[in-house]
Amino acid sequence: MAGSESSATVSPRELGEAPAQWMLATRRVLGRDWASAWLFLLPALIVLVGLIAYPFFAAILLSFQNKLVGRPGVWVGLDNYANFLFGNTPTGQQFRSSVVVSFVYTFAAIAAKFVLGMLAALLLNEKFPGRMFFRALIFVPWAIPSIISAFTWQWMYAGSKYGLFNMILVKTGIAPEMVQWLANPKLALWSSVVAVVWAGMPFWAMMFLAGMQAIPAELYEAASIDGASVIQRFRHVTLPGLDNVIAITFMMSTIWTANSLTFVYVLTGGGPGNATMIFPMLTYQLGIATQQLGRGATVPLMFMPFFLIMIYFLTKRMLATQR
Amino acid sequence: MSASALQHSKRRRSFGRQLVLWGGLVFFVVWSLFPIYWMLVTALKTNLAIYRDASLWPAQPVLEQFSKALFQTNFLMYLRNSLTVTIVVTVLAMIIGVPAAYAISRLSFRGRSLMARSVVITYLVPASVLFIPLFQVLSELGLIDRLEGLVVAYLIFTVPFSAWMMMGYMLDIPVELDEAALVDGCNRLQSLIYIMLPLVLPALAVVALFAFTNSWNEFLYAMVFIGRDSQKTFTVGLIGLARGDTFPWGVMMAAALMGSIPPVLIYIVSQKWVVSGLSAGAVKG
Repeated sequence: MAGSESSATVSPRELGEAPAQWMLATRRVLGRDWASAWLFLLPALIVLVGLIAYPFFAAILLSFQNKLVGRPGVWVGLDNYANFLFGNTPTGQQFRSSVVVSFVYTFAAIAAKFVLGMLAALLLNEKFPGRMFFRALIFVPWAIPSIISAFTWQWMYAGSKYGLFNMILVKTGIAPEMVQWLANPKLALWSSVVAVVWAGMPFWAMMFLAGMQAIPAELYEAASIDGASVIQRFRHVTLPGLDNVIAITFMMSTIWTANSLTFVYVLTGGGPGNATMIFPMLTYQLGIATQQLGRGATVPLMFMPFFLIMIYFLTKRMLATQR
Repeated sequence: MSASALQHSKRRRSFGRQLVLWGGLVFFVVWSLFPIYWMLVTALKTNLAIYRDASLWPAQPVLEQFSKALFQTNFLMYLRNSLTVTIVVTVLAMIIGVPAAYAISRLSFRGRSLMARSVVITYLVPASVLFIPLFQVLSELGLIDRLEGLVVAYLIFTVPFSAWMMMGYMLDIPVELDEAALVDGCNRLQSLIYIMLPLVLPALAVVALFAFTNSWNEFLYAMVFIGRDSQKTFTVGLIGLARGDTFPWGVMMAAALMGSIPPVLIYIVSQKWVVSGLSAGAVKG
């Protein structure tokens, strides 16, 4: 492209040499490349506004209505919210129980993913023959579509003698009778958590491992020379070195875990009773299965304050990594 | 402590270390792979072997569950639908996301940091809030029960993700390179296509793989927006297989294995880049 400056094509730079007065003014206000920038951004902007921002505000509008599929909505103000918070109705009670279930479910899953992910990353960060191979193996569940993981766990949990876990229990004589992993209201939530942890743990391990590899080896050497034990090195070198990774992974995984219904939908459908009715499942139940769009839209919105706080801090941290 | 005692204790510690290391690895490998092994074992058994004399391995491995899944159900059609949606979405997400990333990471305009923030925020907005109003939007557009509607819906998570990832990679490319192209008379689009794209091509491949995998694995939107059998992707199609048979597990697990092949294959082939790409945002800096 040498010599093109003298060619007939007009480059932006040449345009910039003698621009009209109004162009200079718009550039001062909108920025040097405003025209090409917004042209490049236009398709993405349509997606962000039309498919994300607009539905988000449509959800808020829906939450103020009593709206059934195919019928015009009736404006009811804050009735949906009041019903969920205080209403002595079946849906009100269902919502309040789903708050408890959602918190227990999310907290248990996140805590287990954190601990297991950290342990796996610590192991995989050691030097040993074949570690790339072991890494690949341990991360495989991450690549399996979650609907397939959910079905596989449902099949392993099957409450009759051909279910894997019951087969093992019966053959080894550990349990005298079949365990109803998913039909027993006391067990169903924990069985679901185990399956979700299985699918989600590799993401945490990958993040932690990448974070550990970014910690300079000199820090560990210095700590060793100072006589720090393995546990002290973990506490004073590894954990502080991972703080950003932990914060980002924690918030991302919390948002995803809390808002995903795939496992519960397949394993229990929210039952038995409402024992596993996490809020995205309730959203689906009310909004789609029973076609009460207004009520359904209200459910996730009532949890949004938590997620908005996380999204706020997460956005800040994620953008900071790109500076 | 004498020299030999020190060596002795060192050796003992290293033996303990090996024990913890390999014990831990065995635990994690079994934990990670056993469910997949069980999927495979079930898929290789006859119905009789699955439901009568359950065992931890197939006495006589057969492929009948696979052929049943492929030829006696609509699973092949579901796979084809998944593939169509996934490829179209991946291409669209690149076409939409890459110029956006270029504008945000390279161009100077008012609203740039607002757009950067919007991309991240929209990437994080949970699907649970969006699927009900989207159901309404797609109904009004006549896109319910149609693959086109699913393509539109999948742009929700692929476009912000691609734009965000590409922003990160493009910021690593020296500004002088495309400034030089501008001096040579390229316009911004030419500089994106001829200068920037070749430099970020490996990153582009990684982002495309992520978009492909995420779309391939998607379930919630597919379940809510698609009811007609001929338009189902395999993730919703599986539900029908599970509910439509008295003894579905052999066929189910065969289908599940086949549905896992594309993302697992992608993961195995590109493992190194997947891991670095996944953590790029969180670990750098």
